Amino acid sequence: MKRHTQVAVLATLMSATAWGQEVSLYGTTMAQMWKQETPGFNKATATYTPATQFLGIDATSLGSSNLSLHLAGWGKTDLSDASSYDGTKSAGYLNTGYLQYQFAQANADIKAGRFTINQTTGWEQVDGVSARTDLKGGFAISAFAGKPVLYKTVDLTSQHNYDFQRDLIFGSRLSWRNTSFGELGLSYLQDGTKAAKDLTIPLNVDYTRKQLGVDVLFAPTSNFDLRGRTVADVRNERTNVAEHDYTASVKLGNGITLSGNFAERNFLYYFAGTNLPSLFRPDENDMFRGFGFKASWITAANVVLVADYKHTHRESFGDTNRAGGEARWAFSDRAVMFGFSGHVVNATDTMFVDPASPSKSLSHREGRGWVMLTKGKFSCSLDGILQRYDEGNPYLAGLKSVYEVVGSLGYQASTNVKVSGDLSYGSTPVAKHETRGLLRAEYRFGMASKGGR
Amino acid sequence: MARKTIALKVLGIVLGLGALMACSLVSPEASFARTHPQELGAGRPACSECHTTDVSKGALKPYASFDHTPTFVKDHKFQANQDANTCASCHAQSFCVDCHGGKVPMKPSLKLSDRPDRETPHRGDFMTLHRMEGKMDPSSCYACHGRANNDKCRACHR
Repeated sequence: MKRHTQVAVLATLMSATAWGQEVSLYGTTMAQMWKQETPGFNKATATYTPATQFLGIDATSLGSSNLSLHLAGWGKTDLSDASSYDGTKSAGYLNTGYLQYQFAQANADIKAGRFTINQTTGWEQVDGVSARTDLKGGFAISAFAGKPVLYKTVDLTSQHNYDFQRDLIFGSRLSWRNTSFGELGLSYLQDGTKAAKDLTIPLNVDYTRKQLGVDVLFAPTSNFDLRGRTVADVRNERTNVAEHDYTASVKLGNGITLSGNFAERNFLYYFAGTNLPSLFRPDENDMFRGFGFKASWITAANVVLVADYKHTHRESFGDTNRAGGEARWAFSDRAVMFGFSGHVVNATDTMFVDPASPSKSLSHREGRGWVMLTKGKFSCSLDGILQRYDEGNPYLAGLKSVYEVVGSLGYQASTNVKVSGDLSYGSTPVAKHETRGLLRAEYRFGMASKGGR
Repeated sequence: MARKTIALKVLGIVLGLGALMACSLVSPEASFARTHPQELGAGRPACSECHTTDVSKGALKPYASFDHTPTFVKDHKFQANQDANTCASCHAQSFCVDCHGGKVPMKPSLKLSDRPDRETPHRGDFMTLHRMEGKMDPSSCYACHGRANNDKCRACHR
């Protein structure tokens, strides 16, 4: 959608909120400041003071109790040096902006505008229409179609190719639900209808996708469920599996939950159609496989304890084992909360294309602790994170530890308005001493009984 | 010719859905409540504490499936995919956008740095860590960043 069209549509939608009988507005204004010194460069010292405005609006009962409007977006401008990588001083984006009509029957709804599609196949932002409804016998159907929200590529040739191929996106999901079984779903997604070979000057970078997905929820009792999906790439004559991802959870009572996950991804098909082919490289023909377990215990005293383990294997880079735990405690009606966590990541034999040292260790240990206090209208928090790496890590410029501490002080001026300020200090391979300041004003106005949580 | 094919496909989807509605296949059940009728307390809710034996209307699943356990908070993609209307009875759209925005001006943990209790991703110096996590498993990045608007990624990954 072109910029002036976006502005016109946004202005129209914004004015439509005037008809809403229940309008909720969530805004956050943030002013950041940090200074950067880079010896050896022409502009050795730069000061950054970006001001960012987040805005969300939910207006319901627009004339009819079934019609609602949902908007969320942000705008940013740099008050001193440009903080964006492309050198521009202002930016903005409409994350979502759609009208929704919800029927009183069958969980049916229709959306029109910019919305996010996250059916089994694909996670996409779409400028278009979508509809869903429950059917008799436990069946449900949904469908969407529109123009995919297009993104910038690095150069004009790639951009032309990208815009040409991703001309239309559409998909559908059919599911069946049963109270004693769970749910089975079948979905299809097609992103783009043209091929790079159809360009005036044919290219070989393919930005299109055709995916078929099967998803399952098996929940015979309230104490057990198995959820997952298998997605296949169906662009070619032969169907190829792109992903398996399944998680099972068991609730043992007394707040104890055990869960296990298995995932396998074939990059050639999983990364098909990526808009970042230089990073997510389908041509590497690589594969990932992983499994993990997690145990959590929520005690009656508002203490949460979590232990987790995960093993992953990437064919071209080796194995990784990570294990750790977390504890958090909230008491006195959440006036005092604190938590700490620790994880060990063992990746000692990660392979690199380096004849001098073909295998390097990316192993590290991570610890985090935080505390939040609220007394009357005042609140404060302190959050610290530390990562300690093995010797010879190629990404750390000789450092062994990377850390950051963030302190925050807030004042709840009224039920709907809160102001807060943060100060952070850290050390990274890019900046050995990094200090940042942030001022934040949050306001929430509205008559609707939910939102923002 | 290609435009005609596209138009026909869109028309087919619209007509197909319309036909289904017109053919009395639509469920006669009332829709799930748009707003939770009672104010919930602070913190992560366990739906099954009150809805002990119920099955959620529409979703036809035990309410326990939506308990906000640590596992659910970290991995809720299937619930969000299949039962967005259940989520919407408590959460506004802007809540999802905090992390799943497509294009955002800062990482969620910075936007919510005064809320260390929230499970926001990429805490600390993730700019350094992401180079290692990307080596170990690039598919974990792809779920959010592979299809998103990432001008920042392109600054290095050309």
